[in-house]
Amino acid sequence: MNRVEFLAELERLLSGMPEEERQAAVQYYADYLADAGEENETEALRELGSPEKVAESIKADYYGTEFDESKFDHKDYMEKYGQRTGGNGQGPNAETGAAAGADNETGEAVASEWDARKKDAPWTSRGLKILLIILIVIVVWPVALGIAGVVLGVAAAVICFFAGLVIAAAAIMISGVVVAVTGLVLLVIPPAGMIVIGVGILLFVLGLMATVGTVKLCVIVYPAMLRGFVALCRRPFYGKAVS
Amino acid sequence: MVFNTGAALLDAIVLAVVSMEDEGTYGYRITQDVRRVIDVSESTLYPVLRRLQKDECLEVYDRQFDGRNRRYYKVTSRGMAQLNLYKAEWKTYIQKINAIFEGGVTA
Repeated sequence: MNRVEFLAELERLLSGMPEEERQAAVQYYADYLADAGEENETEALRELGSPEKVAESIKADYYGTEFDESKFDHKDYMEKYGQRTGGNGQGPNAETGAAAGADNETGEAVASEWDARKKDAPWTSRGLKILLIILIVIVVWPVALGIAGVVLGVAAAVICFFAGLVIAAAAIMISGVVVAVTGLVLLVIPPAGMIVIGVGILLFVLGLMATVGTVKLCVIVYPAMLRGFVALCRRPFYGKAVS
Repeated sequence: MVFNTGAALLDAIVLAVVSMEDEGTYGYRITQDVRRVIDVSESTLYPVLRRLQKDECLEVYDRQFDGRNRRYYKVTSRGMAQLNLYKAEWKTYIQKINAIFEGGVTA
């Protein structure tokens, strides 16, 4: 890659920026490389690093984001393109110089690492989302537990209420039988016995009617309640569709 | 160098380097001058220059050189004020650091 290619690539990479910014940056690097001199062109390009790195440093500052130079740590861009530059390790940056001594593979590894990091970016926000969900669960859990308790209690009360009605009706029916039997015993005094038997039969019939009625009520109410309960349970899972 | 150069210090160094030339100086030379004192990469300085220019601490002008236009940077009066502020801050900063390094804990 020579100076012209570098500048063309830089211009292309800055295409998202305002035209004025782009022109200023490209002009600066055109100046820079011209001032470095043709004889130093390869060296100057190697020191600048890849157009990607340069473009990133410009954009990072312009958009006010953090530019992490370590992502572009190796100055072996030229080597990546197969143009070996001799005399590695010179220059003031001994570390980077030494790193530049690495072979072509390192360059590609760095480039692909950078690609990988770019792809990783959304993962940060996903992690944040999961954390948020966990926090919500922690906060919501005790409240939900309380509400579930209340719901369960009310449901039990309602279920038992109708069952209680059936039992009460059955009890009236049974007491009617008992009274009628007592009346049979009391037949030694015919008028009293007759009255007691009559009351007993009346109670039995009333109890029978009440039992049949309440059982029928239960047959209607319990399935309805079950359906209502199932719908209630479904609600949190289909919440979006319901509301 | 083992110490990091923060954004403010880098601004101060660039302003100081540019202010040394009355006529102004150009990007490549600024880079070379700055790199003589601190270890920054070549691509670090353009954003700094651009930002200082936007903050009106530096002004630019083009001058013919070698058959092309070369962009020169010059410190404005505002840039000078900023540089003096940095210099004063730096002085108190190094005095405090030196006091700890050389004279133990200071009051």
